[in-house]
Amino acid sequence: MGRTDGARVLILAIESSTPRSSVALAERDVVVASASLGVPQRHGEFLGPALQFCLEQAGASVGDVTGVAVGVGPGLFTGLRVGIATAQTFAAARSLPVVGLSGLDVLAFRSRHVGRLVCTALDARRRELFWAFYRQAPGGMQQVAEPQVGDAGELAAEIAAQGGDCLVVGDGGLRYGDELAAAGADLAGPADAWPDAADLAQLAVPRFLREETHEPQSLQPIYLRRADARIGWQERGRMHGGAG
Amino acid sequence: MPEDRPARITLRSGGPDDTRALAAALASLLRPGDVVSLSGELGAGKTCFVQGAAQALGVTERVTSPTFMLVKSYAGDLPVVHGDVYRLDRVRDVEDLGDELLAADVVTFLEWGDAVRSFLPPDRLEVELLLDDPEDIDADRVLHLEVHGTWAARAADLATALAPWVGPTAHAC
Ligand SMILES: Nc1ncnc2c1ncn2[C@@H]1O[C@H](COP(=O)(O)OP(=O)(O)OP(=O)(O)O)[C@@H](O)[C@H]1O
Ligand SMILES: [Mg+2]
Repeated sequence: MGRTDGARVLILAIESSTPRSSVALAERDVVVASASLGVPQRHGEFLGPALQFCLEQAGASVGDVTGVAVGVGPGLFTGLRVGIATAQTFAAARSLPVVGLSGLDVLAFRSRHVGRLVCTALDARRRELFWAFYRQAPGGMQQVAEPQVGDAGELAAEIAAQGGDCLVVGDGGLRYGDELAAAGADLAGPADAWPDAADLAQLAVPRFLREETHEPQSLQPIYLRRADARIGWQERGRMHGGAG
Repeated sequence: MPEDRPARITLRSGGPDDTRALAAALASLLRPGDVVSLSGELGAGKTCFVQGAAQALGVTERVTSPTFMLVKSYAGDLPVVHGDVYRLDRVRDVEDLGDELLAADVVTFLEWGDAVRSFLPPDRLEVELLLDDPEDIDADRVLHLEVHGTWAARAADLATALAPWVGPTAHAC
């Protein structure tokens, strides 16, 4: 797969793991087209047309795309899976390499010029958040601990343990702002509330250049919640022939 | 955080229209993001309850059982998402019902919600429907409403809105 330095690099990026989906095309590290869908969620109907729109804006055709980057969560399950499936289908049909990146990392990339501890926090519903902490490091933001899921009280405790000197980015920070601010955190505004495909593309380009890529079929969504459980229908003895 | 024993309101319904009427009265308290979990045997009246509530929320389309479709969204003064987990095997399969379920801008009704409690948000209203006589499909229904999490703050308003249906229960629980 070796590419010479002069070869065209056109990366398609798909981020649909939150209520705000987006698609972007980047030519090396320059974003040449992007489209995003305002909050409520119709990922399936959006991604195809958005991709067409971006290609037209960039004056490119599908055959010009050299790699596909996709957000792999954590996030909303259905949007996440639609995004990954779209990326897999597109890449597999053209034998393109893929890069999957966490939405938390993508959000942190947006704050890469912030010279302090950054916490990216996404609303996980059910009164929970997904979060991770980052610090500036040579070449980008470095995650300082494993991403987690928990409630605002748990995140506030972690922030307090870090001395409170922390910028919280993401819709989780907006939703639970009071509790997090009480722990000493500063909150970023609503402009940076969701991971964006343009940032995803920029963050992914160096990986394509270094060929740190994957096969489309190996993409996996990130789940942070505890392992799945069976529904105990039988024990309930109610149905499926069970005694009433 | 261990939850205090949730407050309970017990209602009695004399027929399907009565169940729809009490659900409509309850709907006046519903807000975007609310989650109502329904439980009770096959034919207990879960879908009937959602019909009454949805109509009161401005849904004009006829609400039908999502048992086979698993989830259906309705436009209304408040958007309504109506799901049914009866066909699912694993708790996480609920996520297959789509991202509109439990969204912040809709009211979510989930039939058999008690089967997937670990998936539900801590703030929710649980409604259990029981046949007063299990052998008689036309028997009165006894409804137990349980407020969880922030719903506790609405317990008094619920009792007021539903006062006409508050009645003695034949079932000791
Ligand atoms: N008081 C009552 N309230 C609600 N339904 C009643 C009542 N009395 C009789 N019925 C009848 O019970 C049936 C309730 O059906 P419904 O589809 O609402 O049940 P369900 O709990 O949703 O069942 P399923 O588990 O199959 O989804 C209807 O046929 C309705 O006419
Ligand atoms: Mg039903």
